[in-house]
Amino acid sequence: MTQKLETGKLGGGLGMKAHETIYQLFIGLLLAIIASTMILPFLYVIIISFTDSSVYVSGTFYLWPQKWSTEAYRLILRGSGFLNALKASVFITFVGTPINVCANAGLAYMLSKDDLVGRSLINKLVMFTMLFGAGMIPNFINIRNLGLINNWFANILPSACGAWTVMVMKSFFSELPKDIEEAAEIDGCSTLRMFFQIVLPLSLAMLATFTLFAFVSYWNCYFSAILYLTDTTKMPLQVYLQKIVLSTDISEVVDIQDDLRNKVPQEIMRMASLVVVVFPILCIYPFMQKYFAKGVMVGAVKG
Amino acid sequence: MTAVSKSPIRFKKASLLTRIRKHAWLYLLGLPGMAILAIFNYLPMGSLIMAFEDYNPFIGLIHSPFAGLKHFARLFNDDKFYLMLWNTLKISFLSLITFPAPIILALLLNEVRSNAYKKAIQTSVYLPHFLSWTIVVSLTFFLLSSEQVLINKIIVSSGGEARQFLFDKSIIYYIIVIQSVWKGIGWGSIVYLAAIAGIDMGLYEAAKIDGANKFQSIIHITLPCILPTVAVMLILKMGSIISVDFEQVLLMTNALVKEKLEVFEVYIYQNGVKSGSTQFSYTTAIGMFKSVVSTILVITTNKIVSSNGMRGIL
Repeated sequence: MTQKLETGKLGGGLGMKAHETIYQLFIGLLLAIIASTMILPFLYVIIISFTDSSVYVSGTFYLWPQKWSTEAYRLILRGSGFLNALKASVFITFVGTPINVCANAGLAYMLSKDDLVGRSLINKLVMFTMLFGAGMIPNFINIRNLGLINNWFANILPSACGAWTVMVMKSFFSELPKDIEEAAEIDGCSTLRMFFQIVLPLSLAMLATFTLFAFVSYWNCYFSAILYLTDTTKMPLQVYLQKIVLSTDISEVVDIQDDLRNKVPQEIMRMASLVVVVFPILCIYPFMQKYFAKGVMVGAVKG
Repeated sequence: MTAVSKSPIRFKKASLLTRIRKHAWLYLLGLPGMAILAIFNYLPMGSLIMAFEDYNPFIGLIHSPFAGLKHFARLFNDDKFYLMLWNTLKISFLSLITFPAPIILALLLNEVRSNAYKKAIQTSVYLPHFLSWTIVVSLTFFLLSSEQVLINKIIVSSGGEARQFLFDKSIIYYIIVIQSVWKGIGWGSIVYLAAIAGIDMGLYEAAKIDGANKFQSIIHITLPCILPTVAVMLILKMGSIISVDFEQVLLMTNALVKEKLEVFEVYIYQNGVKSGSTQFSYTTAIGMFKSVVSTILVITTNKIVSSNGMRGIL
């Protein structure tokens, strides 16, 4: 507001204002070009995925189909390949996210207490995992020794507690006003009650942010799936999508009945699969956007 | 009280115990996290011994014959190793060139007057950060691969000949780097936007009174003020110079560009995990070499950051 007034006062004449408008238009246009490279590929994929196969001719480029159809989606959603992958992704995401948030928040709250015995040692041990990892083969052998091969918990647990998340949560907890906790302690509030009824309700925005981070990372889980899962029917959606996009005969992957095969061009099927896999992320993205504004993300990014 | 003056040592012990007991519930809260880190981060480190022996899964880790530094010697004599190192460095240096991209985006965003427009742009540019590499690679495939898809449709309909971009060795690195920029530019700009937001508005007003135009205030105020942030981010990026986003590289690999995209983790995955336990020791040695070098790089870069009075990540 003050900036606007300043410009008006100092700029004086109309020439300065016109100059400012052109400048804003130019910046706006540049940014619009950048942003459209992020949005247009999706629009293209969504449009093709809803194109009717009768008007779809491979090799021609058009922006708007004459006839729409949801046939590809109906075929995908009916195939057992998709349903199995969906089951895996839903399990990994919805079981993994609460475990992840609880493990990280609990450890972070513990480390935020200055007078805790062993705090600096535990702190160092947590930080060290950020610096050094045993590597793929030792991790693989570890999962095998634990008997977690072909178990969805192998995709959930190894990433359920991360040094970076713990550190960001810890600094958040230690910046909470001390007097509330002190007052509660004098009133005889137990540690657990304090954590669940005072500290967590004060940290909702931060918890929501990390819940969404965990949700996204579990939904996007790909490599840990191909590393630790052996049964093809247990593979999550990301693996399903990768197979559909890269395989030459996708009806095998989709697993639909013979009479429905080749009813819809493969390209339309592929694009519809991408839309289905990315859909939950697009759904929760507006909620995440809410927290960008609150500045929680900035703290989270800065670390 | 009397006990204190008589034997201070006993008092200390009791005090430690009471201090631990006082926080018993606190330890319980931290237990799941500590257990996960212990089981999934520290337990596997024991298996690193494999790199120094000829591991045989039937005999087990403890009884497998000791091999000394044999696997590391093989590593340094392996042409594949130098190929992997070289490929990794090439991808890292190319992505280093794109380092200013998020800074430029932050500067542009900061110039926008309309808050609603700024928010709309931010919403679009942050989105790719939350997409998996599977999605990004699939989109690339749809846009670039065979004659069926977008770019080639445009080329063919304007009379050109379809190109197999994803099978072209000469441009595969550029595609990888462009993907990374596309995915990371928006998210990367947040830290610079925060730095810009912290600049004293008085500086700009003073410059305006002195007759500086927009461009001059960016060059002489904004850039110098965010320079510490830029330096930290650049140094931290140097710390990850021998790591590439290998999920991306793995997904982009195909038979025709394989030798260009052979990097450490992809090799370890394809030769260690997929081909059974015969290569466990050698691939563990490769992984260990990489882990040790990245740890040294990260510690060094953080030392440089903090010795310059800035806050690193450690």
